[in-house]
Amino acid sequence: MTRNLGYLLAIGLIVGFPFVAPNSFYLHLAQIFAYTAIAVIGLNLLLGLSGQMSLGHGGFYALGAYGSALLATAFGWPIGFAILGGIALAVVFGILVGLICLRTRGLYLAMATLAFGFMVEIAAQRWTSVTGGAMGLFGIPQLYFGDFRMGPTYFFWVTAALLLCVQISSDYIFSSRYGRRLQAIKESESFARTIGLNVPLWRTAIFTVSAALAGLGGALFAHQSGFISSEAFSIRLTIGLLIATVIGGLGRSYGPILGAAILIAIAETIAALHEIGYLLYGGILLMVTILFPEGAIGLLNKLAPTRKVKEDPGNRGETASGRELDIATVAGAELRITGISKSYAGVLALAELDMNVTPGSVHALIGPNGAGKSTFINVVAGLYRADSGSISLDGENVVALNAYQRARLGLARTFQNLQLIQGVSVLDNVMLGLRPSQVASADFLHWLADRRHEARERTEAMAILDYLGIGHLADLRPKDIAYGHRKLVELARAIAQKPRIMLLDEPVAGLNPQEAEAIAKVIARLRERGVTILLVEHNMDFVMSISDRITVLDFGHCIAEGTPAEIQENPAVIKAYLGTDEAAA
Amino acid sequence: MSLTNFFQLLISGIAMGAIYTLTAKGLFIAHLATHRLNFGQGDFMMVAAFLVMAFLVAGIHPVLAVILVAAILCLMGYLLERIAIRPLDALADRTTPYAWILTTAGVALILQNVVELIWGKSAQYAPPLFSTTRDSVVSVFGVGVFLEELAVIIVAFVVVVGLYWFLFKTRWGKGIYAVAFNPEAANLLGVDVRGVIVLVFVIASLLAGIAGVLIGPLVSLHPHIGLIFTIKALAVASLGGFSNPIGILVGGILFGVAESFSNYWDSAFGDLYPLLFVLISLAIKPTGLFGEVKADVR
Repeated sequence: MTRNLGYLLAIGLIVGFPFVAPNSFYLHLAQIFAYTAIAVIGLNLLLGLSGQMSLGHGGFYALGAYGSALLATAFGWPIGFAILGGIALAVVFGILVGLICLRTRGLYLAMATLAFGFMVEIAAQRWTSVTGGAMGLFGIPQLYFGDFRMGPTYFFWVTAALLLCVQISSDYIFSSRYGRRLQAIKESESFARTIGLNVPLWRTAIFTVSAALAGLGGALFAHQSGFISSEAFSIRLTIGLLIATVIGGLGRSYGPILGAAILIAIAETIAALHEIGYLLYGGILLMVTILFPEGAIGLLNKLAPTRKVKEDPGNRGETASGRELDIATVAGAELRITGISKSYAGVLALAELDMNVTPGSVHALIGPNGAGKSTFINVVAGLYRADSGSISLDGENVVALNAYQRARLGLARTFQNLQLIQGVSVLDNVMLGLRPSQVASADFLHWLADRRHEARERTEAMAILDYLGIGHLADLRPKDIAYGHRKLVELARAIAQKPRIMLLDEPVAGLNPQEAEAIAKVIARLRERGVTILLVEHNMDFVMSISDRITVLDFGHCIAEGTPAEIQENPAVIKAYLGTDEAAA
Repeated sequence: MSLTNFFQLLISGIAMGAIYTLTAKGLFIAHLATHRLNFGQGDFMMVAAFLVMAFLVAGIHPVLAVILVAAILCLMGYLLERIAIRPLDALADRTTPYAWILTTAGVALILQNVVELIWGKSAQYAPPLFSTTRDSVVSVFGVGVFLEELAVIIVAFVVVVGLYWFLFKTRWGKGIYAVAFNPEAANLLGVDVRGVIVLVFVIASLLAGIAGVLIGPLVSLHPHIGLIFTIKALAVASLGGFSNPIGILVGGILFGVAESFSNYWDSAFGDLYPLLFVLISLAIKPTGLFGEVKADVR
């Protein structure tokens, strides 16, 4: 409830501030703070949460400002609609620039946004017939609801109320499945696709949201002063927004509030030291990034008494004890693979492979290193594209589907190189696998209303962890727990997806015999509930004990298929593993 | 447009393209080995241009001036790595993966301000390096061409060839590719990974320095021209997919020529079209127009 108390306090502060502000200058600063913070929140969602860089947010801010100003002056739109129009303009360009981030990321996105911001600035300067250039646009209507004297107060109330709404939305994103998923996309795209997320769509969406918030900030700026000129939208604006984001605390929901306040304090100071403005900006950017990477929020957290972080007591050999896994029986999927081929730069990894996995069975894929096993798993999961052939899931050809679409059809997998999201807890990692129980609006209201937000998901994820014997690690970060436990977390996440077919890539590699036995029990249990399991593994005792059927690969070719007993007798398999008599001699 | 006009535009375009290529090569080489680069690459170029101008105006012999500038830029590259790049390794996941963009951009802002404090905000004109006046003209196949532009093209070409030799024929060049491929494995094979990282930033900075020395006489200098060169160099490097050195050379020249002609046709917004073209091409072909040749190296 402390959160909602905070919101109430904020409302009180917003209502009361104009009456306690010593003079109109402070009210003016508070307005600047409010709309700047809105833009900074947008940048924080992008940079901090989704890990995408933008060096062009000043451009979206400018589009919002010019869009709204022009609609309100040249077209005479009412301010509210003009602001919406300004945001729409920023959104359109956000999507266009976002198209680049659909396909590329990181450096390219930084470059594209930098170029975009620069082009907007140039357009603002030189397209004087529309923007007025450096001379600017005058007479942009201001908000005063008929009472000119109270105008600044009203305007403050409107901007601050908008800021509060945006802040609440940001808090929700940070503490709900959306934040979790963005964190997952930021850390591991393969993971995100595996749990059924359409990664390009999410990237573009968050980029667009971020652009819209920058546009809103800019539109409010235009209506505050009633005058805008191209001078206001130089690279310095983008740098300022970046500084506010970083200095407040990247990736913390309350970072932008602190950051915007600090930025305005700096900007006011720099006004007196105009000569060395860039020097200060640059110095701050450099120093804060290196010396205080967690920003002001991080410093505050350090001052506050810290909760002692529990540590993983290590592998105690606990097994899937007492508790039962309470999952519904599913109709396991049938996987039918015909003529799948895949080659890398001329090297054939899979050659015309055929394979049928019967529903509800455990099918193992074995073979010497380099046989093409991992390639096979990745091709089936959709992370790699096959060169030819077809993959059908219950008769539906999925070869053209993306990994996330296959995941939604009930295909879950684990990774040989564990893909766990370090930025969230073990429990959250498992919850990432769950399908949400509520639609977004209901989830939001639930979050706003009480503390037991996502209680059902939490219980469900906890039950899976308990079943695997690692419930006591739920609050830890994946990097703080033992390797064997991390493998179990991966398995838990895959179970949470309620799959009809599970692909397990080396589920017991690196585990001790007790742990392997525990995993074997889990797999047996899953099969009992109807789940089809396809696994790749080197541990022969494990494979022979749990598999119904085994396929053996060597150099991309299937050299044998049959029951464990048949495989153990098969001369071709023995040859592939042990070499021929001639070679041995 | 007359044929003479066409040739002059072409030569101007190639000259500017050569500058972009040199600047972009610096981005490429740093990105190759470290996956990071200097977002102040253009500002390093700007500093070099101001320095060489100051030395020449002070009456220092041009050769000595160029050597001095090269030495200073190498030092700046070294310091950049120490101040803005290396400390980030210690932070690991406490910061954003792209923190290097923020730190190097921070250094760029500081440089802009320092130059502004020393030389002022107004535009400066650097004395020519290879001729007596800025507008000396030589005749090539009957077409009058600025001597400076011709010299820029020749010097840039020599530098690019030298860079290729260094990258592909020397031990250090192989070390750079080894680090690019896998730093840990390179380390186990006895490559001084730290040394290579310092080296690529020094080379990047030196390339910016050479570009700065060359560009001084071609444009009017002011403390904030760096950003636009950073943007254009990034655009050129991304045409080459940040991985194909030949692509960067071709892309750089094409970019310069395209810009030269589009400026001729539309003096107001001409410089934006090539940039826009690069952005659109990136959306369509994310690996860059020339990106695939070496894309598998990573």
